[in-house]
Amino acid sequence: MSAVAAAGVVRRRGGWARLLWVGTRTYVLHLFRSPVEVLITLIMPLIFTLLAVYLFKAADRPAQLMQAAVGAGLMRMWTSVLMGSGAAVQDQRWMGVLEPLVASPRPLVTVFLPITLAHSIVGSASLLAAVGWGVLLFDVPLTFADPLAFLVGVPVTVLTLGMFGLLLASAFVLLPNANALANALSYPIWMLSGMLVAVDILPGWTRPLSAALPPTWGADALRAAVGGGDAWTPMAVALAVGLVHLGLGCLAMVYVEHRARVSATLALV
Amino acid sequence: MVGTTAVEHSRDTRPSGGGSLRFLVVGGILSYRALFNWTTPTMYLGTLFGSPVFQLLFFVHVGRALGIADDNFFIVGNAVLAASVAGIFGGTMAVANERRYGTLGSVLLSPRSRAVVFLSRGLPYVLNGILVSAVVLGTAAVFLGWRVPLGVAAGLLVVLVVGALSCTAFGLVLGSLGLRLRDVFLIANVASTLLLVVTGVNVPADRLPGWIRSLGEFLPMTHAVRAARDLTGGAGMSRVLPDLLLELAVAVSCTLLALAMLRLFEWEGRRRASLDYM
Repeated sequence: MSAVAAAGVVRRRGGWARLLWVGTRTYVLHLFRSPVEVLITLIMPLIFTLLAVYLFKAADRPAQLMQAAVGAGLMRMWTSVLMGSGAAVQDQRWMGVLEPLVASPRPLVTVFLPITLAHSIVGSASLLAAVGWGVLLFDVPLTFADPLAFLVGVPVTVLTLGMFGLLLASAFVLLPNANALANALSYPIWMLSGMLVAVDILPGWTRPLSAALPPTWGADALRAAVGGGDAWTPMAVALAVGLVHLGLGCLAMVYVEHRARVSATLALV
Repeated sequence: MVGTTAVEHSRDTRPSGGGSLRFLVVGGILSYRALFNWTTPTMYLGTLFGSPVFQLLFFVHVGRALGIADDNFFIVGNAVLAASVAGIFGGTMAVANERRYGTLGSVLLSPRSRAVVFLSRGLPYVLNGILVSAVVLGTAAVFLGWRVPLGVAAGLLVVLVVGALSCTAFGLVLGSLGLRLRDVFLIANVASTLLLVVTGVNVPADRLPGWIRSLGEFLPMTHAVRAARDLTGGAGMSRVLPDLLLELAVAVSCTLLALAMLRLFEWEGRRRASLDYM
């Protein structure tokens, strides 16, 4: 291989990381410049925290109010990723740029992973807003059993949710009305992931489903970071499961791209 | 026409009462049918039934995990509230989508009463809401072992009808905001989520702070949920009648408010020539 070709290979490899970084940063800035998105990021966590905190107060669990607030924030974070993954593909389709994106020489995963990561990052703002509202308005004590684990756990959860969102986005590429499907997926993931309450009392057949979801391990890690227990093992598992989902998402994107090129129906609504 | 003035002629051609009733029904059916211009029945049914059913399962699970109340508390509450999704978003779409798709001018040029036009849009969503609640209760019966005496079922149906009416009327209020605001569906989303808390569906009302309870008294579904729980708890219709009347009062109030706001925003939109301006 010549030096020029080798440099080209290095540039291309470096280019993927740069593309992911630029894409994610661009989408995050795009989302935070939307007044609607900012309002949703601030207001919806307030309602979710209100619900979660008063559920736990009704259950006479004052010592777990911080877990309730974090759980509410996680629920909003997942909704942000879910809606973002569904809407992102539809948005590209409606803007008429989905075909050029698919036709570009970059792998499709480098286009959609920044979108799902951006929505996950915005979702983390919802998590912080939920905790903030809880502390400011609902007498939630700002205490962490392991503050460092919480600080690390939040970006890990953000990352794993973004990876999971990529797998969803690849499925939504083929669905003309993906948003409608996304609307129904909030509650099942909240329940199976144990975002608000642990999954211990769910039927045994749901355990494999729960274990296969990155949010489950992220929620476990953050719950442990707040209430006590081992937060680092669930964090590591979350990353591992997230990488598996990323791999599956990449494969799904390759399949979707191939199928779209063969059937020539990518832009049809 | 010979022998009549233009004013008398226009009065002669205005729709009669019987025509308004026909419009209420046929217009509602046509507008509902038009909904499937942008969504497929599969996706619509998934959204209509999927979310409320999973909502029920989620809150029953949370209730069991936290030991707040028995399953019946969450089943009855969430089943009644399930009608709110169809009502709120349907009522919102019925008005706001006209502006969104550029057909508002044509609708407002019509000689039909505004009340008949927009109430006809909301009627199918009342029926939708009742159906969704029934499906949620059916899910509870199949998967959670929920049972209710047959005699209570009739009273429960009355509660569902009244609740669906008030939610749809509330949706029309939000939809009328769509004549002024661009992001009205954000408001509808917030309102729909807020009902999870303020109606006492998932948090017992006596465990909520006073200001939330007070707010809930003026919003749809609070009284309907209370009536439904009393009915399934063994109370007779005479005992739940006050709550039903209060829910009906919310429905009537929301309807009147929606019509007033529609009239106001229409007048303002005509004055500023901003009816179709998004």
